[in-house]
Amino acid sequence: MRRAIVVAAVVVTGLLLQTTVFPELTLLGVKPELLYLVTVVFAALQGPAEGALVGFVSGLAQDFLLNTPKGITALTLTMLGYTVGLARQYITSPSPLLPAFLVALGTAGGVAFHQAVAFLLGEEDGPFGYVAKVVLLTAIYGAVLTPIFFPVLRRAVAAMHEGRVVRF
Amino acid sequence: MVSLVAASLAIITLDYRGGDRGPLAEAGRAMESALAPLQRAASNVVQPISNFFSDLADLPRLSSRNDELQRQLEEAAAAIQENQQLQQEVTRLQDLIDLGDVVHDLRPMPASVIASGVSNFEWSVTIDRGSDDGIEPDMPVVTGDELGPRLVGRVIRVTPVSSVVQLLVDRDFSVAGQLLTSHEAGIVEGRGEEDMRMDLLAPGTVVSDEAPESVFTLGYEANDQRSIYPPDLLIGTVSRAFTSPGSVETFVTVRPAVDVSTLRYVLVLRARSHSAAGP
Repeated sequence: MRRAIVVAAVVVTGLLLQTTVFPELTLLGVKPELLYLVTVVFAALQGPAEGALVGFVSGLAQDFLLNTPKGITALTLTMLGYTVGLARQYITSPSPLLPAFLVALGTAGGVAFHQAVAFLLGEEDGPFGYVAKVVLLTAIYGAVLTPIFFPVLRRAVAAMHEGRVVRF
Repeated sequence: MVSLVAASLAIITLDYRGGDRGPLAEAGRAMESALAPLQRAASNVVQPISNFFSDLADLPRLSSRNDELQRQLEEAAAAIQENQQLQQEVTRLQDLIDLGDVVHDLRPMPASVIASGVSNFEWSVTIDRGSDDGIEPDMPVVTGDELGPRLVGRVIRVTPVSSVVQLLVDRDFSVAGQLLTSHEAGIVEGRGEEDMRMDLLAPGTVVSDEAPESVFTLGYEANDQRSIYPPDLLIGTVSRAFTSPGSVETFVTVRPAVDVSTLRYVLVLRARSHSAAGP
């Protein structure tokens, strides 16, 4: 129950920020992908199963706000959460920049994957140049925002498991 | 020593007896006259230094006064900025009221923009009016002022308390448009960050070079069905024309009349007497 409340609070907050605050704070006209960031951080802290679950919930929530077929973002973030959670188990680097690097890589891969799936489903979202620009800028923006959001999300993860220490 | 004391007493006596007209008084005035220019010059040199040390002694009080003035200045600057923002809000709302009078027949419903789209690949905004206010999907949304309405987009999803408006720059948006000068009709389609594109123009269509060519919505009616958009909503102005005699394809790019990134208030046009046919 506690876990569901925390995840719901994080996802809703992410969506609110994404639709109200960050449209005013774009990077060269591109908004960040906060739910990609949330998914990557949860996956890195909690592992593939939890990452996939949070990714699914986040993606589905975002899908409900989109005009494209529902489920593309849920699929994307589920796979992203699982992949990052799995990869994290094999990364031993203690670098404090690792979360930002994972978010950048995960966001770029996730957005590219999302657009590829949308394209296969006949949802044309613009020329290749624009897609490439969004992939690149959302990755950079995500990496820049990670130091701000990571401590908050780590606290959220800790709140899900009272009494358990979450380390990265 | 005794002689000096004696001289002093003599001077005192002379001055006392002579008063203001005595010899010593005259000598004193002469001395003052001679000294005055020197005093003035000296004062000019010494005064700043004197003031500096005086201020130094007074520094704690001045510092506090400076902080107070600084705070007042910041408050005044903030108040001016707030006032300017309020003035802009008043202007926007006044424009909306004026526009409401212009499109009165179309049953306008004012709405505030409360959020933007979540994706970088969809251009939409959420407004604070929904089905409880009589909003339905496919209703056109405009902004503007007393000069006339400008097309913003159309309602695509409705909840009881809010609606999602697809902006005219969205890649899935299309509307039948008409060039102001030549009256040539075509389909205007959104292209995201780029200018919109108006296709299906008749080959050889001439676009005015002298003034920016405006593009308006083309209301139409076919088989008892009306277009979603009423006529004469300003879509934008032609930014580039790709027309040449004998060319197979003729199209123009259209710069939207509305800056969709700064939308605050809009009007939803609710009047629909027949079922909508399309763009």
